[in-house]
Amino acid sequence: MTSGIETQELSKKFTNGVTALSEISIGIAQGEFIALVGRSGSGKSTLMNILGGLDTPTTGSVFINRKEVDYKNRKNLIDIRRTQVGFVFQQFNLIPSLNALENVAYPLLFNYTRKEERNDRAFELLKMVGLGERADHLPHQMSGGEQQRVAIARAMVANSSIILADEPTGNLDSKTSAEIYALMRKVNKEKNVTFLIVTHERELASYCDRIIELRDGKVIA
Amino acid sequence: MIAKEMDILRVSARQLLTKRLRVALTVLGIAIGVAAVIGIVALSDGIRYQAIETIKAQSDLTMIEVHPKTTDGVTQLITDTKVASLQATPHVLAVAPAFMDSYSTKKQTFLQVVAVRSDEIDKVLNLKYSAGRPFASGAPEVVFGADLKDKLQRNEGIRIGDVFTALVRDYDENGMPVDRQVPLTVSGALGDRDDQFDRYVLIDMTTASRIRGEQKGYDTVFIRVDDPDAVFSVVDEINAQGLSSQGSFEQIKAVNQFMDAILIVFMIFAVFALFVGGLMITTTMITSVYERTREIGITMAIGASESDVIRLVLYECLLIGIIGGIVGDILGYLFTVVLNTAGKPFIIDRMGPEFSAILGNEIAKISPEMAVAGMVIAVVFSLGAGLYPAVKATHLNPVEAIRGMI
Repeated sequence: MTSGIETQELSKKFTNGVTALSEISIGIAQGEFIALVGRSGSGKSTLMNILGGLDTPTTGSVFINRKEVDYKNRKNLIDIRRTQVGFVFQQFNLIPSLNALENVAYPLLFNYTRKEERNDRAFELLKMVGLGERADHLPHQMSGGEQQRVAIARAMVANSSIILADEPTGNLDSKTSAEIYALMRKVNKEKNVTFLIVTHERELASYCDRIIELRDGKVIA
Repeated sequence: MIAKEMDILRVSARQLLTKRLRVALTVLGIAIGVAAVIGIVALSDGIRYQAIETIKAQSDLTMIEVHPKTTDGVTQLITDTKVASLQATPHVLAVAPAFMDSYSTKKQTFLQVVAVRSDEIDKVLNLKYSAGRPFASGAPEVVFGADLKDKLQRNEGIRIGDVFTALVRDYDENGMPVDRQVPLTVSGALGDRDDQFDRYVLIDMTTASRIRGEQKGYDTVFIRVDDPDAVFSVVDEINAQGLSSQGSFEQIKAVNQFMDAILIVFMIFAVFALFVGGLMITTTMITSVYERTREIGITMAIGASESDVIRLVLYECLLIGIIGGIVGDILGYLFTVVLNTAGKPFIIDRMGPEFSAILGNEIAKISPEMAVAGMVIAVVFSLGAGLYPAVKATHLNPVEAIRGMI
C-alpha cells in the first residue's frame, strides 16, 4: 500500500434504495493527477464526498495515506478534512463576508494556527495562484476564475496532501478553465499534491495522468 | 485558545455587518426589552427610595418597641435577663424596660400609663420638656405627653404642678370593679414628639409598683438603635429571642412589600418584551442559518467541527446581546431622564402638590448594578435565543448544504 488514496470494495446505497457506488476498489498514488469522469448519476460526487469524509460508505474501506478512515468516528472525519484533504467546488463556495486572504486562511482558524502564521501562509498561496495583489478583495469583487484560484489556495492552506475538485471549471469559460487546469497542474508538480478532479469535459480530462471512469457506480476504466 | 475564540468572534462580527438592517432591528428588539426592565426597576426603586426617605424623615425609625409574644393565651413577661440580652445586641444603644397600666381621671378620661425608670427612658427617647421637670424617683409624680397635657388642661383644668386624683381600678373577690383614689402630682409635660408618647402618662416604676403591686417582669421594652440601616438586623435578633417588635420600620417593610408586589406585576410585562426580543433573535438567526446553509456546509467541509459551527452562530448572538444590552441601558437611562423631567410634574399634578415634597428630586433611580444586570439579561436572552438555530446548523448535512439542496 502506497501513500495517497485506496478504496477496497467501496459501496454506497442510499436509503431510497439507489446504489450510488458498487464495490469500487481503486488506488491513487501520492502526487497523481487524476480525472474522474462519468455521466450524471454515475456516482462521481458520492465517491468524492466519501473520500473527503463528508459522506459515509455503506460497506467497504478507504485508506488515506495508508491509514483506514474510521467513518464511525466523527473526530477522525473532521481531522481528515482539517489536515489531509482539501476541497474545490464548482460554485467556488467562498465565504462572501471574508476577503481573499481571509478566505484562504479560513480553514486554519479551526486548526489552532496563530493569526500571523495563518495570514503568512495564505498570502504565500495567494501569490502562488497569482492573486497576491487582490488579497483584500471580497469574492463579489473578483471574477469566477479568480474566485476559483482563491478556492484552490484555500484547499492547499492546511498542507493537505490530497485535493478533491468537483467540477472545478464547470462555471468557467474555456480559456479560464485551461488556466485553472494549468494552475492545478502546477500545484500538483511543485507541491506533489494528489488531485482527483471530477469533470465532464473530456478535453480537460486528457491533461490528467490518468482517467477513472464510472458508470452506474462501477469503475469501467 | 483565546486567540482562536477571538478570531471566531471576529468572523461572527463580519457576518453581522453583512446584514446591518436586520441586526439593527433585532438589537432594537432586545434593547427595548432591557430598557423596559431597567425603566421599571428604576421607577420602582426611585419611588421606594423616596417613600423610605420620607418615612425616615418623618418618623423615629431607630426606636423599637418590644413586646413578649402571647402563645396559647399565656404571655410570658420580659425578665431582667432578657432585657440584659437585648442591651447586648449589636447596634443597640439603650434599652428602657417598662410596663403599661391604665388609670383614669375623676372625669373618666382614660390615662395610658407607662411605668419606666427616668434615666433609662431618657436615654432611649431623649426626652424634651415643654414645661416642668421629670418625675422624681419613688415620688408620686407623673409626666404628661404633649397632647394629653393640652387635653387635661382644657377639659379638666389640670396644670403642671397640680395634684390630681387618679382612679386605679382593681377587682374584688366577686369580680366587681373597685376604684382606688391615688393622688399624683404633675411634675412636667413633654414637648411635641409626633408619636404615641404625646398621649402617654409617664410614671416612675417604683411608684407604679407601689400603686399596682410588684410586677414579675416587663410587658414592653423600648430600644434605641444606633443606625437606621441596622434596624432590620436588630429586629431579626429580637424576633430570634422569641419577642415581637413594633416601630416605624414596619412602614418601610410595608412599602417594600408593596413595591415588590408592584415590581413583580410590571416585571411580567417587561419579561414579555424581553421574550419578544428573544424571539426576534431566534428568527433572525434561523433565517441567517438558512441563508448561509451552503456557507455552513463549506465551513464544515474545510474542517470546522460541530462545536465550531455552534460557536460561530452563538458568537453572533453574543454580539447582538452585548450591543442590545448597551443600547438597552442607554434607552433605560433616557427613560428615567424623561420620567424625572417630564413625568414628575405630571404625577405631582395628578396626585396633588403635597406629593412634590414626597417625590423629592428623582422618581426613577438608575444604578450601575442595574446597567450591569441589563447587560447580563440581554446576553443571556440572546444566547438562549440562539441555541436552537446553532444546534440546527450543526445538523445540516454538509453534502446537501454545499449542493444547495436544503
